[in-house]
This record gives sequence, structure tokens and C-alpha cells, in this order.
Amino acid sequence: MRILKATFLAIISSYFVVLFTISSVYAATEDALQFSGFARVVLGYLDESNATYSGYSDDISLSQQSLIGLQVDYQLADNLSITSQLIGHSGNERGSGVEWLYLTYQPTRSIQIKLGKQRTPFFNYSDSIDVGFAYPWVTLPKQVYNSSLISTFNGALANYQWSGKKFGFDVEAYWGSFDDMTFISAVAIPANVNDLRGLITKLNYDNWIIRASYHTADIFIKLPKLEEFSSLLSRFGFTQSAQSLSLDGKVEFYQLAASYENINYFFRTEVTKIHTQSPTIPDVSRFYVAAGYHYYSFLSYVSFAKDKSTNGAPVNEIPIGFGPQLDALALGYQRVFNTLLVSNSQSITVGTKWNFKSNLALKAEVTWIEADQGGDTSFYVLDETKFDKKAPLYQLALEWVF
Amino acid sequence: MKRLLFITLLALASQHAFASDSIVIVANTQDTSIELTRQEIRNLFMGGVVSHDLEAIALPPENQTRVLFNTKVVGLTESRIQSYWAQMRFSGRKKPPTELDSERIVIEYLKSHPGTVSYLQSDTKIPVELTIILKIK
Repeated sequence: MRILKATFLAIISSYFVVLFTISSVYAATEDALQFSGFARVVLGYLDESNATYSGYSDDISLSQQSLIGLQVDYQLADNLSITSQLIGHSGNERGSGVEWLYLTYQPTRSIQIKLGKQRTPFFNYSDSIDVGFAYPWVTLPKQVYNSSLISTFNGALANYQWSGKKFGFDVEAYWGSFDDMTFISAVAIPANVNDLRGLITKLNYDNWIIRASYHTADIFIKLPKLEEFSSLLSRFGFTQSAQSLSLDGKVEFYQLAASYENINYFFRTEVTKIHTQSPTIPDVSRFYVAAGYHYYSFLSYVSFAKDKSTNGAPVNEIPIGFGPQLDALALGYQRVFNTLLVSNSQSITVGTKWNFKSNLALKAEVTWIEADQGGDTSFYVLDETKFDKKAPLYQLALEWVF
Repeated sequence: MKRLLFITLLALASQHAFASDSIVIVANTQDTSIELTRQEIRNLFMGGVVSHDLEAIALPPENQTRVLFNTKVVGLTESRIQSYWAQMRFSGRKKPPTELDSERIVIEYLKSHPGTVSYLQSDTKIPVELTIILKIK
């Protein structure tokens, strides 16, 4: 933890030095250079002593989601600009560093082409998940916005927008790759993602927005312990079982979101489905529904979120009852197969966001999380016998954009 | 006398309320036949594109005309609009319109910048250089 914080501070201070240098160099061309940023301080407490959730425990924690983001935009020419965004994060499930570094070419007002390191626009908020000021929740519904999803990619993204008298339409396509760490249950795991591509369509009508998207990628994830177990199975001649534990293969994401918003209230829903070729990585269906009410500078909201994993069929190759060694192997295989990466949980969140300044907001929310008694890895259980898989999470946040 | 004063004040107040309740969208454009729908104006001020090459100019968040524009055209609260811009800006999608401090400055700016468009209260004296492209009551 201390190392993380030291890294966080080192990155931030070096970034300020870079910012200062750039700003001195480009002082003469002030208009072309723009600095902006956002920060959030999030306080969380899980009212449960036998488990932790997203890094939260029954000790009040400030470090899980607090972050600072700094953005530099430099206009190189009329239709060409460069953007860099650096995030300093102190959480266990996130790293710090350059999240965005891309060139934007805008040949016309309707077309935008971006080249470089960018956020993957899987879901409604995936490209602005760090900008807490942009959404009502303190934490976006975890059942949908899971941290194990790849957050950035290197590649190209093109956007075309059109608007008529009544409708507005937006279409976006991207292609790229990713070669970095991903986080599964707060453990950093090396992941290679190739041929990542997606198509996003958005339709605006009146105060309605409908977003539908499809994404696909070839993934290669290395889990050393799983690989050890897999080679053990191979040594015993159970090659099919060994192969079924491979985390490599094609992944497909489907997403559909709808929102209605007016001056008084909002309604929003998002449904996602992940389908994989690997039998060990389960197919996951996720959704949330949310509604909120605006009054003065407050917004109160309630949301319900749920995710459900469906595992592939395990290989029944290892005979049972032919000796303790084989039995242990069969049991081990079943355990690994059924518990890896599964999440079956639901949550209800109630909260209020108060925009007390045009760039500052305070949020308070309570989330009641309930995980399935069977397979679920959303909680990190400390004492299996005492934990009923239910816990409330209390969070307070200060959101700032500058 | 007191009563008369009260009635006069009330009449003035209601007249003022009536006047400031409706807004006009004005543009500096060669094509004076341009007419845009409420949805098109909303798109334009939310960073979208419209069929005509126009650039939106806004007033600051606490400005009363902006509050009216938010209510009647955008249909969202100021805080929701601010969170929308935070999302757009930090995901590199869209940038908010240029903001100028007052209606007077907006009029002067529009007059000297062809292709710009903004909103004003309907009782504002609109200079001849500018064209009303939408009236909203």
C-alpha cells in the first residue's frame, strides 16, 4: 500500500514538472494549449467484518477510488490536436499512469478520427469511469462496470455524427490491441488482447438516447497458478481437461442502453452480455436500471444491478474412485472450473448528489450487496462460516472538475 | 396611492416575467431564411452538428437567460449539463461552446463573427446584423 502511494505521488509530481515545462515552452501559444482535470476523494466503509468488497472493509478507506486526472490538449493545427490524460490512482484494483495519449484529426465537424492510446468505449460510462462528476453514483453499478474489463487500447477510433430536424445519430468504430495488466479480484494479471474492435451506434430523439454496441477481441491471459495446474493435468494425460482451463480465446461483448432525461427526472438502463470461447471464462449477463429526481441542485437516485455468470460444461475425463491422487485431481479441477471468475450478485443503491458549485459535487450513497450462496467472487471472503454473502457499503465522495 | 403603486409594480413585474419567459435564438448568417427546430438548437449547444455550419456561443451557468434556455430548449438542469460536459471533455468527444459573460458581450461578439449563434431573452433589442432563427415561448 505504501509503495502504491509513493508511486502515485511520484507520478503526480513528475507530471506537474512536465506540465510546468510544457506550459513554459508554450506560454506564447496559450490559446492552443489547454489544461484541465478532475479529482475525486471517495470514502468507503463496508459494514461487514468477515469479507471485503472492491477493496472496502470495515475500516474506513480513502484510498480505493480516490484519484486525480490531468488532461493536456494541444491544438497542432486547425483540425489536428494532441491529448494526454494522466491518472494518479491509489486503489488496489487500478494502476496509475497515462490513460490517454492520442492525436485527433477532425476533417469536418461530423468526423473525428483518433489515433493512439484510448479508453475502450464498451459501455455508456467506460470511457469516463474516472470522472465521477459525470455520473450520479459514487461507484457505477459494479455488476455492470466490472474492473476486470480492459480499460485502454492502442489503436484507431473513428466517429461520425449526423443530426436531422428531430433525430441525432452517432456511429463509432475502433480497432486496436492491448498489452498490459488487467485486474481480476484485485490481482494484477498480464493480459494480451489482440484484434480488439467494436462498433457503437447512438440515437438521440427528444430526451431519449439509445446506445447499442458490439465489441470483440482475442484475449490471452496468463494466470501462473492455473497454468501450473493445467500442466499437472497434462502430465497425468488429461489433455482435454487441461485445455478446458485455457483462458485464451475470442470474447464478444454486446451492449444496449436506453436513457430518458428531462428537467425533473431521469431513467436509465444498460444491459450487457459477454460471450467467450474459453469454457473457464463464464458467459456473463449484466444489467442495471436506475431512476432519479432533480430538485434544486440535488439529484437523488435509486438503482438496481445484477450479474449472472454461466459456465461452460466441464470435461468429465478424470475417473473418480480410483485412488486418492486422482480424486484430489478431479476435485481440484471441478473447484477451479466452477469458481474462477464467476460473479453472481445483485445490489440496490440509494444516493444523493449535490452540485454545490458548477464544478464541485458531494455524493452520499448506500449500496446493499447480495451475492449468490453458490459461485461468486465479488466478495473476498475472510471467514466463510460467518459470512452470509450480504453487506451494506457506505460511500461519500467529493467530485471536482477543473 | 399605495394601491396604485402596488398595481403598477405588479403589472411591471408580471410584464417582466412574461418578457423573460420567452427566448429567441439569433445567428449572424448570410442565409436569413434559416429556420432550425428546437431539437437542432439543442444538438448544436450540446456539441452536436447541424445541417448549417454554425458555432454556438453560450452564457455563463448562473445567467438567467441560460437558465431559461436550459429549461426550454435543452430540457436539463444546469448541474446535469455540467456533468454531461465533464463526460464529453474528458473522453475527448466534444467541447462546450465558448462562454461569454453577458448578453451585451454576446451581441457584440455575434455581430463581428459570421456563423455564430446564441440565445437572448425575447425583449432584447436585436441588431439588424443578426437573424432570429427560432422563437421559443
